[in-house]
Amino acid sequence: MEQFLYYLKVSSISIKRAPLPYFLTILIMSVGLGVFFANATFYYWLKHDPLPGKSAQLFHPRMNSNPNLCSTSCEAPRVLSYRDIKALTSTDIASASAAMYSAEGYAKVKEQQPATRANIRVTQRDFFSMFDVPVLKGAVWPDNETRMEVIISKAFAQKMFGSDDVVGQSLILDDRFFKVVAVLDDWGMFPRLYEPAHGGYLEPDADLYLPLETAYDLNYASNRQSQSFEDADFQKLATDGRTKAIHQLLLWVYLPTAEQQQQYRDFMNNLVQSEKAAGRHPNANGNLLHPMNGIMQAYDAESQEVKAFALVTALFLLVCLFNASHLSLNRYIANQYEISLRRALGASRWQLQGQMLADVLVTAGLALLLAVLIALAGIALMNHLLPDNSRMASWDGTLIGGLVGLTLLSAYLVTLYPALRASFGALNQQLK
Amino acid sequence: MLELSNITKIFRTELIETHALRGINLTVNEGEFVALTGPSGSGKSTLLNVLGTLESFDGGDYKLDGTSIKGWSDRELSNLRNEKIGFIFQGFNLIKDYSLFDNIELPLRYRGMAASERKRRVEQALELVGLAARKDYHPSQLSGGQQQRVAIARAIAGQPRILLADEPTGNLDSLMARQVMELLEQINAQGCTILMVTHDPDQARRASRQVQIVDGMLSDASMYDPLAVA
Ligand SMILES: Nc1ncnc2c1ncn2[C@@H]1O[C@H](COP(=O)(O)OP(=O)(O)OP(=O)(O)O)[C@@H](O)[C@H]1O
Ligand SMILES: [Mg+2]
Repeated sequence: MEQFLYYLKVSSISIKRAPLPYFLTILIMSVGLGVFFANATFYYWLKHDPLPGKSAQLFHPRMNSNPNLCSTSCEAPRVLSYRDIKALTSTDIASASAAMYSAEGYAKVKEQQPATRANIRVTQRDFFSMFDVPVLKGAVWPDNETRMEVIISKAFAQKMFGSDDVVGQSLILDDRFFKVVAVLDDWGMFPRLYEPAHGGYLEPDADLYLPLETAYDLNYASNRQSQSFEDADFQKLATDGRTKAIHQLLLWVYLPTAEQQQQYRDFMNNLVQSEKAAGRHPNANGNLLHPMNGIMQAYDAESQEVKAFALVTALFLLVCLFNASHLSLNRYIANQYEISLRRALGASRWQLQGQMLADVLVTAGLALLLAVLIALAGIALMNHLLPDNSRMASWDGTLIGGLVGLTLLSAYLVTLYPALRASFGALNQQLK
Repeated sequence: MLELSNITKIFRTELIETHALRGINLTVNEGEFVALTGPSGSGKSTLLNVLGTLESFDGGDYKLDGTSIKGWSDRELSNLRNEKIGFIFQGFNLIKDYSLFDNIELPLRYRGMAASERKRRVEQALELVGLAARKDYHPSQLSGGQQQRVAIARAIAGQPRILLADEPTGNLDSLMARQVMELLEQINAQGCTILMVTHDPDQARRASRQVQIVDGMLSDASMYDPLAVA
């Protein structure tokens, strides 16, 4: 320990000898690292697994149930019809399943109040257990039947009632009375991979959850994707919505074992077979079963710009490190005399490595400090330009650990080559 | 304690090969004060560097206390330099922005010695070279002779058994040179073996033995009269 403090002292004296080139080295490193950090933060959250361990067991089934023979695009539509959902959930292979879509409405607590816009997730009972949603108060619906009951988020409860202790109270949604049966705790599944298309994965969770059957009864149309494959009225969900090819539902099923997954695939294939036998499924079997952890790729939802930018920042970091290493080499060459002297007086290469490690730590510490500042400025700028992405701006333990690790590695690379060159040089040359 | 047999050293550059040492045989006994003389370019510094393991050798053998150092690891060689050998350079080689104390302490720092012991040794060495009052000075605040005395203090602080000095008085005027010589004699009197390169015949005569090197080979001292060359 004492020896290490000595190494630190030697480092700081050698910095003081030529502070300007040293801080230029630090600056160059920090700019590279800062820009990289800012982008890595964004990228990390984009790639983040919102349900580690579970996202490989949650599946999104798709079926090509279009009643017309497809001519050009024969891929199964991304949304399912009510009939599809009924068919796909008519089995107990899945440990849990929930169909869903997003809608909107206007809510108030008292009749004479002005209404507040609410983001609605229309869904079914298993949604909450499937996506590990924490329930703060009350209990979620016991089944998937029609009921005039809503589940609301903690933030929405605070906003509407000024309290989260509101189970049993009524909420007026689009002029109809609903009972609040549960309040959800802060949750923030991010990215929200259950809504992968059209940037839905970046949006905040809903304010209010409405049972699917109720929403259909009350004709809550989807405000996101919907497709109709026959002459039908989108507004009449209670009737046409349940019988015709109006596609607006996303289904998620929980298949924790490989066996269940295979069974479910077979089940889907059999379904297509029997539909065909009944003369209803004119298109080829287009069944798909996407796992949640591969949904972004499956939907090709990752933007190419993001990838390109990640590459650019990585290259920029490399260029910065290369330059910093060059500057650092000059510094070590200027110090080579002293390094040779230390060797001549009995410092082993091993002890010089200790010295180098101290240099690395000092450099990493300073570079980290500056890089974090630059990264925070970069993130602030990105949030300003792209407010939608602001949920991707925070740093968690993994990310901080990664950033510290990368800084140490960078400092090591910047120091290693120059230091080795200096410590393996001929001893006597420098000491004439 | 030192035994060189048939040591050769060749410097190879792209253009030329210099045979700096051509078969040196030399034995130095414990407590001797050996003066190494010879014309410029004859290989004196090279020989001293080989003895100090600052330079490798190409042929022959170098035995220390009966053990050959051939094939020793970096760690063993640095321990040897650190504990058994003290080196005094012609150009002092002090670190300018370190205090005298820090300069002298430097080799002790690589020995895992307790702080109190280091302090004791440094102060003792400073005492011996007569600079105890200036331990917080920096080298630039001292005269050349004083700087060389600091370098000597650094070399002896670790209580080495062998002191290798390459023209320790080469950069000093005669008064300062005499003081440094007296200091070395005093150190030798305390039992430290000394090998010193010098151009000064008076200094050489004060040593217990003179060895002369000409063109990379040891020659009979009597055949080389430095006065005749001068
Ligand atoms: N690193 C080196 N590379 C190539 N040649 C070298 C090197 N060091 C020394 N020499 C050559 O080896 C020979 C011996 O050099 P050395 O320094 O030992 O001489 P010296 O006796 O100490 O001379 P001086 O009295 O001038 O200090 C010289 O010819 C010198 O040019
Ligand atoms: Mg010389």
